[in-house]
Amino acid sequence: MDFSVVVEYFPRLLEGAWVSFQLVILSVVLGGVFALPIALARISPIAWVRAIPFAYIFFFRGTPLLVQIFLVYYGASQFEVVRESIFWPILEEPFWCAIIAFTLNTSAYTAEIFRGAIQAIPQGEVEACKVVGMSKVQMYRRVLLPRAFGIVLPAYGNEIILMLKGSALASTITILDLTGMARTIIARTYTPMEIFLAAGAIYLVISIVIIALFRQIELRQNRYLGTLSIKVPEKG
Amino acid sequence: MSKTPALELINIHKRFGDVDVLKGISLKAYDGDVISILGSSGSGKSTFLRCINLLENPTKGEIVFNGSKLDLVQGDSDLVANNMKQLTQMRQQIGFVFQSFNLWPHMTILQNVMEGPLNVLKRPKKEVAEYAEHLLRKVGIAEKKDMYPNQLSGGQQQRVAIARTLAMDPQVILFDEPTSALDPELVGEVLGVMRNLAEEGRTMLIVTHEMNFAREVSSDVVFLHQGVVEEKGTPDQVFGSPKSERCKAFISSAF
Repeated sequence: MDFSVVVEYFPRLLEGAWVSFQLVILSVVLGGVFALPIALARISPIAWVRAIPFAYIFFFRGTPLLVQIFLVYYGASQFEVVRESIFWPILEEPFWCAIIAFTLNTSAYTAEIFRGAIQAIPQGEVEACKVVGMSKVQMYRRVLLPRAFGIVLPAYGNEIILMLKGSALASTITILDLTGMARTIIARTYTPMEIFLAAGAIYLVISIVIIALFRQIELRQNRYLGTLSIKVPEKG
Repeated sequence: MSKTPALELINIHKRFGDVDVLKGISLKAYDGDVISILGSSGSGKSTFLRCINLLENPTKGEIVFNGSKLDLVQGDSDLVANNMKQLTQMRQQIGFVFQSFNLWPHMTILQNVMEGPLNVLKRPKKEVAEYAEHLLRKVGIAEKKDMYPNQLSGGQQQRVAIARTLAMDPQVILFDEPTSALDPELVGEVLGVMRNLAEEGRTMLIVTHEMNFAREVSSDVVFLHQGVVEEKGTPDQVFGSPKSERCKAFISSAF
């Protein structure tokens, strides 16, 4: 194996990594913003309000991300209405097609994570809000959302890492993200082992950064829970 | 007495599925009354207390607070509040202390006590902070104000929960088995705080298993059995010469 190609093409790989990073950050932020109202609708007491996010989540969790990307990228352009609409400048860009597919996908997963977190808050804490006469809005703002944020962190960090790895699928629609860039380099140098190893290593580094970041936020956010490690009693 | 009761419950019924938990309970509490509600488990005493501020929706009945009737309409199976604003305003004036404390774990002790007056009643922060510290001193826990609930013992948490309730300046305070979740050696400190409140002339409804406490502190005692008021009267009547056989058996088993 000849790792000099890695050194030579390393700046190009970093360019690709930067594209991957943008894809993940943008879709995670947008997905998070959409996820909150979806999650709140999902636990609505009104049946038809619950039904809409249920169908949305059902579709985006039940179909492959790759299919969703193709639907947006190849599917949308079939329709003349779309091509003539003001959204075409966005929809003709593979980058934005990927962002749209990723955002829709991650918002469905994230909404489920949020929903679980809100429902995991002990009923007694909610009753404590009721008996001081809080309104629904005050309840969410002061207790439910801050509490849910603490509960959600481990699962949400996991979702971001899944998104990072899922972002490699963007390479299938001509985007030169880290995976796309690696494949382009390999087409020129015929060194799949070296370049894919290097790309994998870069993904790993980004994952470690995300994990460390979430670990810190978690420690800070959940400091009120006291010790985070479960102590196993010693024998005897 | 001709003045209006602070709180009046009229013919409260509660049904869970096929089970009639409350079968028509009425109760009046005047300002300064300390009413203990006794009964074996399953008698419906906690359910009754929770119906008062609609933590549980009664199936039938009326709730009158300070002479104004709570606006209730028929829901799917139970009565529900017709006017959320009226309900939240009533809740702001009726304190509730839970068996399991239910402090908000993400807030410090001081923040827990300040939350209601500051963000619900919208009182000025400085005033609220001073009052909260005063109340924490009163329940003997001022030095822990910057700690989180999980760092406190059960008895300490319950005292904080009482301070949190007092911070709202409630007209009536409901206690739902406030010492039942505590280790025996911690019960005394909570009862001590409650005894002081009773002596201050606060209006209190207390669901409890602490017979001695109920006998010494209450102005009235109500004994519930299978969803109805089986015996009612002053502590001396109920503990000294109960008329009902069930009440007699319950009290003799407790002492």
